[in-house]
Amino acid sequence: MNWPQRIVLLCLALGMLGLTLELIRRRRLREEYAVLWICTGLMILVFVVMPNILFTASGWLQLDRSVLMTFVCFLFLAAIVLHYSVVISKHSEREKHLTQELALLRDELEKLRAETREAPPMPAEPKPRPPALRT
Amino acid sequence: MDAEQTTRPEKTPFSLSGRRALVIVPAYNEAEAIGRTIRDLRRHAPWADVLVVNDGSADDTGGVARAAGAKVLDLPVNLGIGGAVQTGYRYAYENDYDIAFQFDGDGQHRARQLHELARPILAGETDMIVGSRFLRPRGMTAQGSRWAGIKILAVAVRLVTGMKITDPTSGFRGGGRKVIRLFAQTYPQDYPEPESLVLVHKQGFCVQEVPATMRRRRGGVSSISMLHGVQYMAKVVLAVLMEALKAPVRLEEEPV
Repeated sequence: MNWPQRIVLLCLALGMLGLTLELIRRRRLREEYAVLWICTGLMILVFVVMPNILFTASGWLQLDRSVLMTFVCFLFLAAIVLHYSVVISKHSEREKHLTQELALLRDELEKLRAETREAPPMPAEPKPRPPALRT
Repeated sequence: MDAEQTTRPEKTPFSLSGRRALVIVPAYNEAEAIGRTIRDLRRHAPWADVLVVNDGSADDTGGVARAAGAKVLDLPVNLGIGGAVQTGYRYAYENDYDIAFQFDGDGQHRARQLHELARPILAGETDMIVGSRFLRPRGMTAQGSRWAGIKILAVAVRLVTGMKITDPTSGFRGGGRKVIRLFAQTYPQDYPEPESLVLVHKQGFCVQEVPATMRRRRGGVSSISMLHGVQYMAKVVLAVLMEALKAPVRLEEEPV
């Protein structure tokens, strides 16, 4: 790897890390979702500083350097996309839970309204609801 | 249907001996059929409370159901069949019901057969009960391709659970307190009927079937074409197999 190549890659890695950190600082990216991006930036940084890691690996795996680079990139992208799928699943589960809770609460509200309309203030023991289920 | 309305309600009212039953009717744009379904339930199964879960319908499903005398929960957005049915189980759990049934809003299930589903659960013979179209003496066969699809699913369910379920897609089913508790916490989303059988089996609960008849779908043919049918089947079988891979649900501590 020659110097111009290194400098370009170094700028890229630092730029990416800088952007990620800046987004976190501005509260536009939550840390838990930024982890993979920080890892990606760090990884590029490591390769820039110690390109021999890559060269040795390409020797072992008998893969051309550029092929190996593409492969590593692909792995990172795949990991990030997979991470997104996990996040989306979590969010749809939460959204479902919230929707259900909303319908149940609205029903409870209607019940309370009807009761207060029928019988004005009666200090009845409220029936305790079972604890909410974590889904 | 008209013939059925002229018959008298059950002569000997079915006894729950103090236990409370809930019928969960998931409904999405069923304004036309829901009224009749609820009247059918109130007439032939007056021992059970009826809860319609209106799954974000665009039509007046909620209004019609209320007018027919059902309790209605309105989901603000459409969750799909799994989410809607689970809402019903959560309601059953929070309101302390002893037994809960699922019953389609489109009128294909028969309210008069509900007590046959209730009996084995109340007798403590099983945790969950499924009304099957294929068990004798009522046995009937669905049309060719649909029948094949159900058979394939039955084989898949049997493969992963060892249970012999003849009608894994039947949405005419019920469960006792353990099942209510489980489904309130975890219920499959995409193809819940066969998947939930696997889920229940994983928890070590038992499932039984009783014969049931279903009416043919009213109006037109099924929207599932042959090609779609194959695709659909592949997805359901995959969902069933994946359900089998999942870890059993850890039920939370029984509230004191």
